[in-house]
Amino acid sequence: MVVSGFGAATILAVTLAPLVGSTHVSLSRALGRGIPFADNVDAQIFFIARLPRVLAAALVGAGLSLSGVVFQALLRNPLASPDTLGVAAGATLGAMLAITLHLDVHVFGISVLPLSSFAGALGSLAIVYVLAIARRRGTSTTVLLLAGVAIAALLSAVSRFVQYLADFTDTFRTIQWVMGSLDVASYAPILGALVPMGLGFAGCAALPRALDLLSMGAEAAEARGVDVVRAERVALLSASLTTGAAVALGGPVLLVGIIVPHLVRLLVGADHRLVLPASALFGASFLIGCDLLARTLLAPVELPVGIITSIIGAPVFLWLLFRRLT
Amino acid sequence: MSGRDPLLAARDVGYAYGRRGPLVVDGVSLEVGRGSIVGLLGPNGSGKTTLLRLLAGTLSPTAGAVFVNDVPVASLSRRDLARRIAVVPQETHATFDFTVLEIVLMGRYPHLGAFELEGPSDIAIAREALAATGTAGLEDRQFNRLSGGEKQRVVIASALAQGADALLLDEPTASLDLAYQLEVVALLQRLNRERGTTMVVSSHDLNLVSALCTDLVMVRSGCVIAHGATRDALTAPNIRALYSVDVQIARHPAADRVLVVPIARVD
Amino acid sequence: MTRRLALTLAIAAALALGSSAQTGARRVISIIPATTEMLFAMGAGDRVVAVGSYDHYPPQVDRLPRVGALLDPNVERIIALRPDLVVLYGTQADLRTQLDRARVPYYSYTHKGLPDVTETIRSLGRRVGVPARADALAAEIETRLRDIRARVAGRARPRTLLVFGREPGSLRNIDASGGDGFLHDMLETAGGADVLGDIHRQSVDAATELVLARAPDVIIELRYGGSENLAESDLRAWDALPSVPAVRNHRVYLLRGDEFVVPGPRVAEATERLAHTLHPDAFGP
Repeated sequence: MVVSGFGAATILAVTLAPLVGSTHVSLSRALGRGIPFADNVDAQIFFIARLPRVLAAALVGAGLSLSGVVFQALLRNPLASPDTLGVAAGATLGAMLAITLHLDVHVFGISVLPLSSFAGALGSLAIVYVLAIARRRGTSTTVLLLAGVAIAALLSAVSRFVQYLADFTDTFRTIQWVMGSLDVASYAPILGALVPMGLGFAGCAALPRALDLLSMGAEAAEARGVDVVRAERVALLSASLTTGAAVALGGPVLLVGIIVPHLVRLLVGADHRLVLPASALFGASFLIGCDLLARTLLAPVELPVGIITSIIGAPVFLWLLFRRLT
Repeated sequence: MSGRDPLLAARDVGYAYGRRGPLVVDGVSLEVGRGSIVGLLGPNGSGKTTLLRLLAGTLSPTAGAVFVNDVPVASLSRRDLARRIAVVPQETHATFDFTVLEIVLMGRYPHLGAFELEGPSDIAIAREALAATGTAGLEDRQFNRLSGGEKQRVVIASALAQGADALLLDEPTASLDLAYQLEVVALLQRLNRERGTTMVVSSHDLNLVSALCTDLVMVRSGCVIAHGATRDALTAPNIRALYSVDVQIARHPAADRVLVVPIARVD
Repeated sequence: MTRRLALTLAIAAALALGSSAQTGARRVISIIPATTEMLFAMGAGDRVVAVGSYDHYPPQVDRLPRVGALLDPNVERIIALRPDLVVLYGTQADLRTQLDRARVPYYSYTHKGLPDVTETIRSLGRRVGVPARADALAAEIETRLRDIRARVAGRARPRTLLVFGREPGSLRNIDASGGDGFLHDMLETAGGADVLGDIHRQSVDAATELVLARAPDVIIELRYGGSENLAESDLRAWDALPSVPAVRNHRVYLLRGDEFVVPGPRVAEATERLAHTLHPDAFGP
């Protein structure tokens, strides 16, 4: 089946990617026991520099792709993405505040920056959700979309304001963060991200059929027996958890959430029971690949991974658009 | 209607949007007899769409109750309700490129458990529904690429696959051209005849209603102003009271029903 | 031949005299920290009427009005102060156009390498009208730099990673000096070998893999600006890379001070501090 094909590709990517990089690494020396770890440069490059990076890329790619699928179904809009409801804008603002206010506190060994970013993501979702349900039972898609756009715009404006007041170094650091970086160099942030990601994945796993029906219209879904209010809540929360965790881990990597679901649908069809897992797997491989390019194209200098995803993503997106129109 | 046990019934049902909103539906009582095709008529803003939703159970009444087979709708789970009542919306647009079979299989949702996949019996039911609506050959086609008439028939097939006793249709021919209108009407009549499917059809098209419906319910400003068998209820005075339009009722030259010919607005 | 030479000299003298008739400024605005420091160091501080947003040295500048900086120069305020010279960045084309229109003279500054610091001091000094003191300042700086070079000459140059920014608490987004720019020049003068010297950029976003591969013998982290209170304890973040010689041999240092990021008169001090860190025994008592 196609999904297992994606699975195999992802496993391949995860195992092969750490072997490739700007420096030549001898696998036998890296994995061998001859040299103690503290002195083993090859091992350190493999296990500290590359492997966490590949794992982070897999998580971020999977998380952003999944949430892209969910938002597209929920908002009945193939152009929706983690950005549409302002979730990514909230994460960015959270990160920016942490950088500008110099919140250098560490909570349980995790730095504040990803926590603040995550809080921003969920905070913005909460605002959008409250606005959308304020008036009527359940969420109206139109209100959700409009509220999301408005909140995204507001948060962007606040971000720019904060940036303007910040000193130059902070602004530069924020720009770096916004362009995306997967060089985590440690397993702690990955483990930290696994918790919300795991919850988000679990939530998504319960949704595929409901997403199919929701994408045909909330009333139609209701009439077919879907508990629309509950499904929408689970969907929103799951997608926001995965987006928040992904953005906190690697920054708001552009276009992954839009491109991957579309490409996957071209290959597996529209049934969400296939699209969800396939998107997670393909998203992981895709970002691993993009990160590989980011760190090898202009070696020894590295490009921010967001640039690679944009360079690949934008033409692909245009091509998908043209396909639709003809 | 008839003395038989009605399939669907509304008892003194009212609905208002918001806590202090105006009553859109006010004290409506009606019965839908088994095997009948009930037409729901009314001008825009009359509350007939809301009434249809209340009958379908997708809205909960703020007053009164709706019953299906004498069981209050409010006491049924969504899945249970979906197994008894199916809805055909006015227009269906698929956000994603689902195939016709996938769309029809969505009708099996209320019959499946949370993580259950469709089995061979579900697929057989879906195919049978496609055959019943004359769309069997479209199984692998993409839904969004079908013509308006084909789409509507597929959506009806999807509703049939739900295995429901009652079909609620919201202006089923509103976006169709003449040929497809006739096609859909013929289909609905055939389903009613062959399967005994009970239907509630909301429509603006008086001639459609005359051709299709056995009984009529006329709603204006949230209240029922007239109801009864079509031949009794579809009269010029009733239509004038409903739409503020003067019409002439004529015998249809080719079929055993009446034609409604609009003459002028009455102010 | 001599006639032509005499003529050339005469023209050159005329030009020099002519241009010095343009020189001399009494109301100077400098929006660049480096040039502000230079002006004060060459004794022209009393001529400075306004400074940029990021100028903090010498302390007197905090009493002066601020008119913005690279990204947001406040043209109205600048013109309202009636300067007769504005020192601005070479890239500020818009500002230059507006000053041209207002007929305000300006001095265009470009941020380059270490040698350019003294060259700028001399040329700015002439422009402002204090050539003698500017020359003296430049000469003093050059002497100090020469002295440092002499002290560290002949010693092995430790391969050094010069870091001027990173995310606190982790090794993400390390900004290090590449083979271009005055930080690189200061490092080389101080007797270090820039481990990223082959990368011809002023700033390199050094990924973990790069640091591990280059294996520097010394890591120097620079901290500047009052707001970043990073303690020595933050250096422990480098313990995540035990194979790096600098980490293994405990040669990871933290140096604080604005003088490291302002290519102005304090470059000699900054270079001295770098040299002390790299070759402590060359400066023994």
